[in-house]
Amino acid sequence: MFATSFEYEDYDGKWNSDGKYIEDDFDLKQYRLNLGYGYRLAPNWQASIVLPYVWNDNKYSGLETSNNGLGDMSLNFWYETFDNIMCVYEVRDVKDLIPAVYLGGSLTLPTGKSIYGGEVDNVFDITGRGFYRLDANLLMDKTIWPWTMIFEFSYGVYLERAVNQEYGNYVEPYDKQLGNRRKGLVSLGYTSFLKDLDTMTYTLAYTDLKEDQGTINGATDPTSGFEKRSFTFTAAYATMAKDWIVKGSINHSPRSDDWGRNFPVTNIFTVELIHVIP
Amino acid sequence: MSFHRYLFLLLLFTLTACDDLYPSGEDKRAPVDTTVVGSKAGQIAPEFSLFGTEGNTVTMSVELAGADAIVLYFTMWCPICDSHMSHMRTQVIPNYPNVRFLIIDFVSGSIADSRTAQEKNGYTDLTVLVDDASEVETLYEGTMGTTVVIQNTGGQGTILMNEDYKDSVKLTQTLDSLP
Repeated sequence: MFATSFEYEDYDGKWNSDGKYIEDDFDLKQYRLNLGYGYRLAPNWQASIVLPYVWNDNKYSGLETSNNGLGDMSLNFWYETFDNIMCVYEVRDVKDLIPAVYLGGSLTLPTGKSIYGGEVDNVFDITGRGFYRLDANLLMDKTIWPWTMIFEFSYGVYLERAVNQEYGNYVEPYDKQLGNRRKGLVSLGYTSFLKDLDTMTYTLAYTDLKEDQGTINGATDPTSGFEKRSFTFTAAYATMAKDWIVKGSINHSPRSDDWGRNFPVTNIFTVELIHVIP
Repeated sequence: MSFHRYLFLLLLFTLTACDDLYPSGEDKRAPVDTTVVGSKAGQIAPEFSLFGTEGNTVTMSVELAGADAIVLYFTMWCPICDSHMSHMRTQVIPNYPNVRFLIIDFVSGSIADSRTAQEKNGYTDLTVLVDDASEVETLYEGTMGTTVVIQNTGGQGTILMNEDYKDSVKLTQTLDSLP
């Protein structure tokens, strides 16, 4: 399976460390091209790799910058705990309510340019966070045509790393670890059939993302950690055989207090093309 | 050659090109010439003069003459900058009355724009300097979160620290070391 997505993220202010929304006049944009390839290793096992390329385009009233580079790559695997199709058209029995459960793991590799590598001179060059991260993922999916409900949860742990440079300048070495990361998502989708049994699916999702405070030399860094809550609307077209899927989505967070903390407020527009090789 | 082999080679090429994949804790700081003007710790601090957001001119040597040290913090009004500045305001600044803290805004193009950002972000109690020509950013190799400590060493300034704010531990250790 090949998946290609293009994301456009447009900055629209921030939540400060107290969760207060602050509007800015800056024109900051990031574009990401994600190239993905998935492969079925065994009947219940899938693996995938996602390689992003990132463009940063920033305009302040006194400064304009434009940079690009490889982002942080991820390796993923999923185990399907079921053997039969779990989608039903009608609930006739309690077992028809059992969802399809997927268990997964992800490894994020710091292939992007971070402040700790030697490839950056300033903050505008950054395309990655500079840390390895391991995620445990759970996805539960229940389709009772034409409705689909999904619950997703992932828990990520960043690995501690040594740092001996910042923005290309060598500094006194120290150990740094970012905080553990939790992401929960619930979504509800509706599928309508088109001619030739192609489908259009409309999905509304709510996502809650939180990263705990990290540590420097084992001590808590009080300036780190963040939160973000957002909604995503997705429209997806799929052929009858599901061998081609085109998706468009908009991710949005309310511009008000306490929908996030210590994090930029953005809109993210995504177009994705998936091709499943028979 | 199969597709998977191409993919493996691409992955291998990508992994070997990224130095963050192999973090190093080795101290690679080079010795610096402490007799010259420069941006590194130990060097003589470059002189600068900038407008503040209240229209006043702030000159390093003048500020240093009335203080034990100056702290420069480079802001672009981002969430991390806010977190650092908020922490510095409540946890650091009150403990060092003889140190002058100056915020360097290196992204705003005018005093008015910088003042607007300062007000929106709630930092009117701090002194913000407008580096609209990137003069100080260049002199001190500053970027988001860069924190510079300049000690008053009698007639000139000496840089004691020039690195990211992080959790402020290095900053407070440096300020505690002032005579």
